[in-house]
Amino acid sequence: MQRRDFLKSLGVGAASAVVIPSMSFAAEAPKPRGKNALAYNDALGVATGGKKAEVSAKVKLKVPEIAENGAVVPVTVEVEHPMSESDYVKAIHVYATKNANSRCIGVHLSPANGEAMFATRIKLGETQEVVAVAELSNGTFLMASQSVKVTIGGCG
Amino acid sequence: MAESKSLIKIKPNSYKSGDIVKVSFMVMHPMETGLRKDKKTGETIPEEYINSVKFEYNGKVITTMNVWETLSVNPVFTINMKVDGAGELKVTYTDNTGKVEETTEKIKPKG
Repeated sequence: MQRRDFLKSLGVGAASAVVIPSMSFAAEAPKPRGKNALAYNDALGVATGGKKAEVSAKVKLKVPEIAENGAVVPVTVEVEHPMSESDYVKAIHVYATKNANSRCIGVHLSPANGEAMFATRIKLGETQEVVAVAELSNGTFLMASQSVKVTIGGCG
Repeated sequence: MAESKSLIKIKPNSYKSGDIVKVSFMVMHPMETGLRKDKKTGETIPEEYINSVKFEYNGKVITTMNVWETLSVNPVFTINMKVDGAGELKVTYTDNTGKVEETTEKIKPKG
């Protein structure tokens, strides 16, 4: 009997020893990854200062629908808006909604650009939406988004 | 760390004053996120990414960019620019380790 009790207690102890660390790990799991990690909604709030960005067809976002390699995803943003001294596109922001750091780039333009266009290549960790936000000189924000299916993630 | 190289390309090759041209700035840069681990040693590779880019045309700042580590390795930055006479285009970038590098390209409009 004594031996049986001893084994039982050992079994329970071992089981609890397994359970407790895994539970505490699960509690810590939603910790953001990386120093610059910022969720998309927070990042958008920082850029627009709490204003609402309107979905607009004037913002043309070109991203592939299926990206085989998430490490290199070409992105092109064009904004159909005049670039005169008094009325121009002030900035273009690009976000990847599910990356650890959702911010990709903020481009601050001036009338000397002639046309509001910006292109680069970004990394996508998983299948997600890419969002482009254009800030006009009169303080309004326009946005466009497109979902991109990623076969191999690129944010190791 | 490999020697970094950067390059400015202007499309089309021949342009006139008043034209809008495409300017691409390409950099050889690792763009490390600080999340990746070395497969052999298991150690985290420290962050190393470009955090700002500035385009200057004849001394006037035309475009600035806030860059994050989510851009691809060896990034390309393409913008439009209105040609306004002969001169020089200077692109400066800085990275999070404090490195600053600049590249210049002559602007020579034909006519």
